[in-house]
Amino acid sequence: MWETTVNGRKLKFHLAGINNQNFIMRDEETGSWWQQVSGEAIQGPMKGAKLNPVFHDELSFAVWKREQPGGRVLKPNPRVAPKYESADWEEKYEKLRVVTPVDAADKLAPRALIIGVKLNGEARAYPVRTLEKQSPILDELGGVPLLIVLGEDRKSVRVFERSVEGRALEFFIKPDSQPLQLIDAETATTWDFTGKAVSGPLAGKQLKRVALLKDYWFDWKIYNPKTSVFTLGERDLSPSDQPTIKKGADGRE
Amino acid sequence: MEKVQVVDGSKRLRALAWLSLLIVIAIAFAFVFIPAFLIIPFKSQTARGVAWSYALKNWSPVVTVIAASLSIALTVYLWRGARWFGRIAMIVLLAPVFIFAWFARQNHFEWMFNPLPDAAYARAGETDFVADRDLVMSVVINGEAAAYPIRQMGYHHIVQDTVGGVPIAATY
Repeated sequence: MWETTVNGRKLKFHLAGINNQNFIMRDEETGSWWQQVSGEAIQGPMKGAKLNPVFHDELSFAVWKREQPGGRVLKPNPRVAPKYESADWEEKYEKLRVVTPVDAADKLAPRALIIGVKLNGEARAYPVRTLEKQSPILDELGGVPLLIVLGEDRKSVRVFERSVEGRALEFFIKPDSQPLQLIDAETATTWDFTGKAVSGPLAGKQLKRVALLKDYWFDWKIYNPKTSVFTLGERDLSPSDQPTIKKGADGRE
Repeated sequence: MEKVQVVDGSKRLRALAWLSLLIVIAIAFAFVFIPAFLIIPFKSQTARGVAWSYALKNWSPVVTVIAASLSIALTVYLWRGARWFGRIAMIVLLAPVFIFAWFARQNHFEWMFNPLPDAAYARAGETDFVADRDLVMSVVINGEAAAYPIRQMGYHHIVQDTVGGVPIAATY
């Protein structure tokens, strides 16, 4: 999601092509071509310019409705509604082929879904399958302690900086919480899925949100060739509904 | 002797005109279809291929109009003195040039994936078109919240909106 104002000029974008299975946008005003995933102008008079990213989430509608009861939702266009993706689009897309070269050393399949995070020049991919096995994941990237958590819908994902006033906290899921809540081990404060402390010593505090990109592994790697991949150590393979507290230093590639 | 030479010269000129017509049409074809081919879905692209595609596509509206004009001029020149099969050949060759000139002004990606210029929105509580398990892209700017269901975004790919006063493009 991008801001469409560049150097004080509002641009209107059109779908214009495909570059290695990620689409190219063309702006009406200058005719430049922009890469959708990176927001960068790759051809034309604006070449080299970058769109400002807009912080956004990918959530299940249930979670979104709960958090944003006053929000608005894009309506389907009746003229083209039959062409919209089917409810099982995710399964279908996972089976689509990949056209870019596959690195034989990769442990992930090209179409494996990952949660990509970039911080202070470092990029790391958290496979969704791994997160399904263990949530939350406590990690550190680019010197920042991170919390990666899967919602109770098993679909929505959020990433937070897990430090409050310079102190890194360790989180676990509050058992049987619905909607999902987290508890930190240091203060026993209860936190909700938006990263807000709802009760306990730190009540009122808000964890800083970190931008993430849910992407296919092959696509993430094209734009982040130096990315690392988060892997669980053997002892970390605990059921996700159990409190799991672990240091971020282990379990990383 | 001299008369024969004149006939030869005119024949050569006509042959040259025919050749030019074919070359002009081939160029128009190249400017329209090479860029489309270079960024075809389900193929691997290189940075160079994308650059070529952009350059050719950029020039194709002008080039195809020039090609159409030249083709008309050459056809007019060749029409007189052409036999019936020659005239049919000219018409068959000329028709695609106009199609190329028209195609150079089209966005065939928007034929496949219709844009959504008149996006409409429903209130969170008044939706019968999104299931609870469906994913949405969610944005909150200056207190205004908007959601774009991914099943719709996977088709339109781009939705332009203004949220909390900020013009944005939701892209998927």
